[in-house]
Amino acid sequence: MRRGGFINVVVAGVLGTLATGAVWAADAPAAAPAAKAAAGGGYAALAKLPDWSGVWDLDFRGGGLARPAPPHLTPEYAKKYADYQARQKKGEEQQTETANCVPPGMPMIMAQPYPVEFLFTPGKITVAIEAYSQMRRIFTDGRKHPADPDPSYQGHSIGHWEGDTLVVDTVGFVDTTLLAPGVGHTEDMHMVERIHMISPERMVIDSTVTDPKVLMEPWTFAKAYQRHKDWDIKEYICDQNNRDSADDKGKAGLRIER
Amino acid sequence: MKALFRNPRASIAAVLVTIATAGAAYAHHSTAMFDMMHTVKVDGTITQFDWTNPHTFIFMDVPGKGGVEHWGIEGMSPNYLSRNGWSRHTLKPGDKVEMQVHLLKDGRKGGFCSTVTLPDGKVMANLPQRPAAPGANPAAEK
Repeated sequence: MRRGGFINVVVAGVLGTLATGAVWAADAPAAAPAAKAAAGGGYAALAKLPDWSGVWDLDFRGGGLARPAPPHLTPEYAKKYADYQARQKKGEEQQTETANCVPPGMPMIMAQPYPVEFLFTPGKITVAIEAYSQMRRIFTDGRKHPADPDPSYQGHSIGHWEGDTLVVDTVGFVDTTLLAPGVGHTEDMHMVERIHMISPERMVIDSTVTDPKVLMEPWTFAKAYQRHKDWDIKEYICDQNNRDSADDKGKAGLRIER
Repeated sequence: MKALFRNPRASIAAVLVTIATAGAAYAHHSTAMFDMMHTVKVDGTITQFDWTNPHTFIFMDVPGKGGVEHWGIEGMSPNYLSRNGWSRHTLKPGDKVEMQVHLLKDGRKGGFCSTVTLPDGKVMANLPQRPAAPGANPAAEK
């Protein structure tokens, strides 16, 4: 009886889960995140964080920051870049898979002509990115990176505060995205971002990228962002009416018929 | 249609898309298929205005030598345009407009919108407008 009762409960639970639509989502034990949030001070602790409200739009004019030096590529990747430039001269490589609505992933998703928004919750900072309706999750609850993360477009990010600077460490990238136009990277790419405000309306992200197979030395660049308190993140569904395309050689297409 | 002015700085997007910038000035696609060095004036009547991502799209009937030409012209996204004075009602079917267009290089009747002059004379910038290069004379190429 006891065993049968247990099974009934399990079946009822499964049916209940199916009924609500969340089919096989494996929930973590409820106590663990709550304990971690409490350890970090919970919602009350968020009031001590810097005010990053509003949304932040990349300043394509550079924002007065030093122009970044080009990445110092390994011979293998320097040759790949030279080949890319040669293909461009032939009319290929005009554009990338983003023309087919594939999001660019890190780091270029942080360099789009659309704003980003930082959302603080206990143990986590979520970056809502307007371009391609993307999202980054930066865990600030003290966890480590997984030993063997599944490669992803945004990578696995952990962060901590050093004063008013958020230091974000990210690993676990797919190798199908670009570090810069014409420059790929491997799954071993590692990024550290130092995110801080330099004035009430300006934010700077200092980034350092390492990827030994691609870069002879860490590549650093800084980007400036302008705060817009009266903007909201808008919807961006790339497949809504995408008339652009890139073929397998990167040649551009545009459908102009009604 | 006449080439009214040339604006070398319009290629700034291409300049920004260099390896040193660690990022692209455009979100979605390059401008390689358009003549970004020149705009051409195209006068016509709006037949449809798609207020959609990743780009707005303007369809226009244009009087041509062999009859009416059906043009399709890409524009910036509604996200960008709504932050720069546009709305989904800015262009309506039946509106007679003058448009400055970066033409498609392949010769089809299309391009990328630079500015639109509305029926009431108001000029709406689609692409960010930059000052003409020193010495540029808009009338010179008429």
